Amino acid sequence: MNDLLIQFLSNTGFALADYRHIIMILVGIIIIYLGVAKQYEPLLLVPIGFGMLIGNIPVFKDFGLGIYESGSFLNYIYYGVTHDIYPPLIFLGIGALTDFSAMLARPVLMLLGAAAQIGIFATFLGALAIGFPPNEAASIGIIGGADGPTAIFLTVMLAPRLLGPIAVAAYSYMALVPVIQPPIMRLLTTRKERLIRMEEPREVSKTEKIIFPIVGFLLCCFLAPAALPLLGMLFFGNLLKECAVVERLAKTARTSLIDIVTILLGVTVGASTQADVFLTPQSIGIFALGAFSFAIATASGVIFAKFMNLFMRKKINPLIGAAGVSAVPNSARVVQMVGQREDPTNFLLMHAMAPNISGVIGSAIAAGILWGFMSS
Amino acid sequence: MFGFEAIIAHNGWGISLVGISIVFTGLILLALAVAQIHKIIELWDKRHRFKKPRQKKEKKEATVPDLTVSQDVQRASRQFKLLIEWIGEPFPLPKLLDLSEKCGLSRPHSTINELVKCELIIPDGNGYFIWNKEKFRDLGKKE
Repeated sequence: MNDLLIQFLSNTGFALADYRHIIMILVGIIIIYLGVAKQYEPLLLVPIGFGMLIGNIPVFKDFGLGIYESGSFLNYIYYGVTHDIYPPLIFLGIGALTDFSAMLARPVLMLLGAAAQIGIFATFLGALAIGFPPNEAASIGIIGGADGPTAIFLTVMLAPRLLGPIAVAAYSYMALVPVIQPPIMRLLTTRKERLIRMEEPREVSKTEKIIFPIVGFLLCCFLAPAALPLLGMLFFGNLLKECAVVERLAKTARTSLIDIVTILLGVTVGASTQADVFLTPQSIGIFALGAFSFAIATASGVIFAKFMNLFMRKKINPLIGAAGVSAVPNSARVVQMVGQREDPTNFLLMHAMAPNISGVIGSAIAAGILWGFMSS
Repeated sequence: MFGFEAIIAHNGWGISLVGISIVFTGLILLALAVAQIHKIIELWDKRHRFKKPRQKKEKKEATVPDLTVSQDVQRASRQFKLLIEWIGEPFPLPKLLDLSEKCGLSRPHSTINELVKCELIIPDGNGYFIWNKEKFRDLGKKE
C-alpha cells in the first residue's frame, strides 16, 4: 500500500516539477492578469496565459499528454498551428471585421504602413548580428510586424523550433502596445505636431469597397505570391463583408470562426511554451529583439509621417505613423489615446485606421518576401 | 559569426534593402490603384451623360422625318404636286407661290417652306426646284 502511495506521489506534478515549471506558470498567471485586470488584448492573453498553465503542468513523458507528444489532444489541435491553418483563418475573420474606408479615403496614408515594416528588417539585421541563422533571424524580425498570425505563419515555415517564444513574444507585445508605443510617440513628436488636426476623409462608396479587395488581392499577390494564404484570406473575408449578399458567411467569419480559431490558437501557442523548450537563452534574446523590433517599427512610422509632412500641403498628425505596426485596432486606439491626451477634441482613430490596416497588408507582404528569400 | 561580419556573410543588407523596397513598392502601387478606383467608378457612373447627347442628336435626326409626315404636310403635298405638274419641272419658287395664291391654297408661304424642309421640293442646283418623286412615294407608303 505504501508502494502504491509512493508511486502515486511520484507521478504527481508536485514531484515532477522543477523551478522552470514554476517560472512558466508564474508567467502564465501574469499574462492572465494583464488580460483580465489590465484588459490588454484579453481575447488573446487569456487563452495564451491559460495555455501556458496547461503546457507547464509537469507530466510523464510518453504519457500522450504533452503538446509535443503525437496522439495527444493538445498535439491534435496544435496541428492547426504547425501546418499554418489557423493564421489564414484568423486573417479571414480580420478581413470580415475590417472596414477599409479610412484607407480608401486617403491612400497616401498607406505609406505609413509600409514605413513601419522597417522594424522587421532592422530586427532581422539585429538577429543576424547576434548570431541567429538567417531563417531564424527572419522569423524573429517579423515580430516587429505586430501581427501574431503573420509571425506564426512565417515561423512555422522558417524556424518551427522557435514557434513558442516567437508566438508568445508577438502576441505579448501586441497586447503591450499601450505600454510600449506612447513613450516612443511622445519622444519623437512635439506638442505642436501632436495637436495637428486632420481633415475629414471623403466618403467612400459601396462600389469602391467591393472593388478594393479584388484589386488589392491581385496586386499584392502578384507582387509577393508567398503572401497568398494570408492576403488571400484577408481580402476574401473583406469581400464577404462588403458585397453584402453573403451576410451569413461574413457573420460566421467575423464571429464564430475567428472566435473558435482564436481559442485554439491561443491555447496551443500558450501550451507550446513548455519550460524545457521555452526557457532558453535564445528565448530571452527573442524577447529582447521583439521589443527592439516594436520600438523601431513605431519610430519608423512616426518619423516617416514627419518626413511626409515636409512635402504635404495638408499636414498629417505624425502620431498616426505609429499605427503602421498593424496590431489592429489596438495601435490605432493608442494613437487616439495619445492624441486626446493633448487635445480631447481631436479624433485621430479613424485616420489611424488607414496605416493600421495597410500595416497588416505590409507585414503580410514582408513575411512573403522573407519566406521567398529564405526558401530560395 | 557575429556583428557586421554575420550580416554581410548572410547577405543581410541586400535582403533588408530589397525587402523594404518591395514592401514600399507594393503599398505604393496599391495606393495608386486605390486612388484611381473612385475616379474610374465616377467615370463609369457618368457614362450615361456621354451617351445622352448622342441619343438626343439621334432623336433629333429621327424627328425631322417625322415632321415631314405630319398630316398637314401630307395633305398639302398632294395639292402642290398637281400644281407642279401643271407648271412643269424645273420651276422657280416664286411661280409656284404665285399659282398657289391664285388657287386659294391656305398659307402658301409656310406650306412651301415646310415642303422644302421635308425635301419634297428640292433645288436642282441651277436656281430652280424639282419635285422629289421618291420622297413623295415613301410618304405614300408610310400612309
